Amino acid sequence: MHIHQYEKLWLGLSLLLIVGFVATVTYGAVGTPAISMIGDDGDTLNPNAIDDHPEFGDPGVEKVGESEYAAYVVARQFMFQPDPIVVPANTTVTFYVTSADVIHGFSVVGTNANTMVIPGEVAELTVEINDPGEYGIVCHEYCGNGHHGMEGLLKVVPADEYDGGDAE
Amino acid sequence: MNEGMVSADDGATHGDLERSVSAPPDQADVDRTLSHEEFDPKGTLALILVYFAILVGMWVFMYFVEFLGNGLTVVG
Amino acid sequence: MSTGSGAATFVDRYPEEASIVRQAFFVAFVAFGLGALFGVIQALHRTDILRFIPSTDYYTVLTAHGVLLVIVFTIFFLVGLFQWAITRSFDRPVEDIRITKAWLALMSVGSVVTGVTILLGFVDEVGISADVLFTFYAPLQAHPLFYAGLAVFLVGTWIAGADWFRSWLAWNAEHPDDRIPLQAFVVLTTMLMWYIATIGVAVAVLFFLLPWSLGLIETVNPLLTRTLFWFFGHPVVYFWLMPAYLLWYTVLPKIAGGRLFSDPLARVVFVLFLLLSTPVGIHHQYLDPGIAESFKFIAMTNTMFLLLPSLLTAFTVVASVEHGARQRGGTGLFGWLRALPWRDPAFTGMMLAGLMFAAGGFSGMINAGMNINYLVHNTLWVPGHFHLTVGTAVALTMMAGTYWLWPQLTNRRLYSRPIGLLQVVVWFGGMALMSNAMHVSGLYGIPRRTAEPQYQGFDFSTAFGSVAELNVQLAIGGTLLFVSALLFLANLAFSWGNPTTSGLGQTLPPALSGPDDSPRVLDNMRLWAAIALVLVALAYALPLGAIVADSGLFGPGGDAYPVTVVLNSVAVTAERLTASVGATLADVGGVLEVIR
Repeated sequence: MHIHQYEKLWLGLSLLLIVGFVATVTYGAVGTPAISMIGDDGDTLNPNAIDDHPEFGDPGVEKVGESEYAAYVVARQFMFQPDPIVVPANTTVTFYVTSADVIHGFSVVGTNANTMVIPGEVAELTVEINDPGEYGIVCHEYCGNGHHGMEGLLKVVPADEYDGGDAE
Repeated sequence: MNEGMVSADDGATHGDLERSVSAPPDQADVDRTLSHEEFDPKGTLALILVYFAILVGMWVFMYFVEFLGNGLTVVG
Repeated sequence: MSTGSGAATFVDRYPEEASIVRQAFFVAFVAFGLGALFGVIQALHRTDILRFIPSTDYYTVLTAHGVLLVIVFTIFFLVGLFQWAITRSFDRPVEDIRITKAWLALMSVGSVVTGVTILLGFVDEVGISADVLFTFYAPLQAHPLFYAGLAVFLVGTWIAGADWFRSWLAWNAEHPDDRIPLQAFVVLTTMLMWYIATIGVAVAVLFFLLPWSLGLIETVNPLLTRTLFWFFGHPVVYFWLMPAYLLWYTVLPKIAGGRLFSDPLARVVFVLFLLLSTPVGIHHQYLDPGIAESFKFIAMTNTMFLLLPSLLTAFTVVASVEHGARQRGGTGLFGWLRALPWRDPAFTGMMLAGLMFAAGGFSGMINAGMNINYLVHNTLWVPGHFHLTVGTAVALTMMAGTYWLWPQLTNRRLYSRPIGLLQVVVWFGGMALMSNAMHVSGLYGIPRRTAEPQYQGFDFSTAFGSVAELNVQLAIGGTLLFVSALLFLANLAFSWGNPTTSGLGQTLPPALSGPDDSPRVLDNMRLWAAIALVLVALAYALPLGAIVADSGLFGPGGDAYPVTVVLNSVAVTAERLTASVGATLADVGGVLEVIR
């Protein structure tokens, strides 16, 4: 097979590019902080039985450690519960997000906190939250003809202003 | 083909601009004929090296500035 | 009749096959016109520039836009082009024209049924709707006719593939020692990929979604049907792309005045697409709960290696064009670019399409980058990306290719080359604006697939400029694209008024480095199909197994969410649907008579 020497050079560069991309992604996955993908750690549950679920039956934020919080969020046509989600600043928050009906999205606007929300599955994502502030939350997957109105709010309040309870 | 057809050649009415295709029907009227051995695509190599540099630069910018510089990294 | 300088055209030599190609193109272009109309409605609506539908109907428009353009337009163009390529490169008529007509009819009926079901979403009284978008994720549920039409369409494409394989076998029996011509090679490898890819969507539709929409099964597993969709959903993008590649590899060098640089490398590229297109679909599910990170990593590495055939293509195609430029007298490191036939819309269209593919390739690399996907997932960045790839690399190449091919299918000149040139340039400009605005908006977190540009509780923050400016840019771009689409369709329609002319035929020159320079094993379709199947099994057996083990074939429960609001009895709806399908078919039939 005749391959022109320039083509051999380009083949080499292409492979270098590919290996470079894989290496960058791997660096992101094992570097500091190590970026973790949404995985299969979450439970499965029947979306019709969500109201009886110990956590999702009354979704909200719980303190689970020294500066660690768990936020249970239910996405349903066409809202997020709770809304707003209130967490204290300078903490580690794990969001557990599930759907009561169809497939939704959960994206904290302007950040990398982003997941699909699939009925029957629980999406689990942990983020470190530093400064106080407000973020919009959007559903980014089409979920029915009211989809464009499906939004929420994430409020990060100073630790001393946090009342420790559910926002609802 | 039917009798009423006009030939592509007897086309004073069909100037070059109206030719539906510009490619020569065969390769006879090229300036010169280059075989595989006598053709080094050095212009292609130059263009593709420029593309390579753009790809690498943009990748580094997107990954390390836009992505890693963005808030709320998912760590678990 | 006097003979011109040109050769006999395709329609002179194969009138029946040319008729099939024209009919397939006709359906493609009708879908293209409708899809473009729905596109501009969206571009103006979601930017709040001009609105004439309620936001709830936006999703009917979006579903129609997606299905008409990426299923009907692209795939009908593909079957037309592939029929031309098979007949031309084997230089033999179809084995049995009735079969060929049958698959075209099946595909058309399926498209009309699915298309009408979607469009009935505008008429609430009918109670039929399929506002489930191109991805039809369960448990949103469309009317059963949506899935049924899709299934009929798929069967049509399978028979089309079988028809072409039959041509190959017949040709091979007469030419046992010949290498498969490159165009036929592209068709055969692409169809093998299609057979493998459609396993996913066929299982999802036939075993789960269709019986579920008919009430035969209670529940489906949303993660499973979604994964099966993406099993099909990534290779389908290469299915759209392969007709463009066929034109870039075999027609573009000729239009440029040169010859394909390397036939052997072209074969390697198409084999790589067959092998790697399918075991990558999970990269659309990087942010899905229920799929382990390790499977996502495997999909990521496979996807990155899938860049290789496209990167190799960039070199081979540009080198072939450079060969043309140098044969036309071009000189210098970059000066040869001036020696190219830029006044030819076929040439300029394909070159601009290729340029946009280079840009779309980059945003695709970002999409493929697993963790960086957090930044852009389901934002407007993603449609920004695929409007560069399928929306330009594919669609603009198809339009440009039509300028070259149409005279050879009809013996009529194109109505106007300058309008053609304007059309491809306007498409490029419109897409540059729209796609740029979409990419940037995506980086600000603005989601895709939504009817409204803003939310009540918060504003999108921008690094520079404003969301309003981006919206204007998007809307101007979308409008230019619509104008370009109209120019294309009008140019083609007016061409029908030109007198028939002889001698419009074009021949395709052989490659500089021909097929005999490559090992024969490249032509072994059985081998590549087998390896492709093994790779798919390796990539998908474990994730699919894990999904079923976790939540069962039919999921952990949950209701169906029909997008249909049933206002009338089933009998009335069926009657109305039959009437409207019948009327549409009659219209299509009438125009087809003319085209034929």
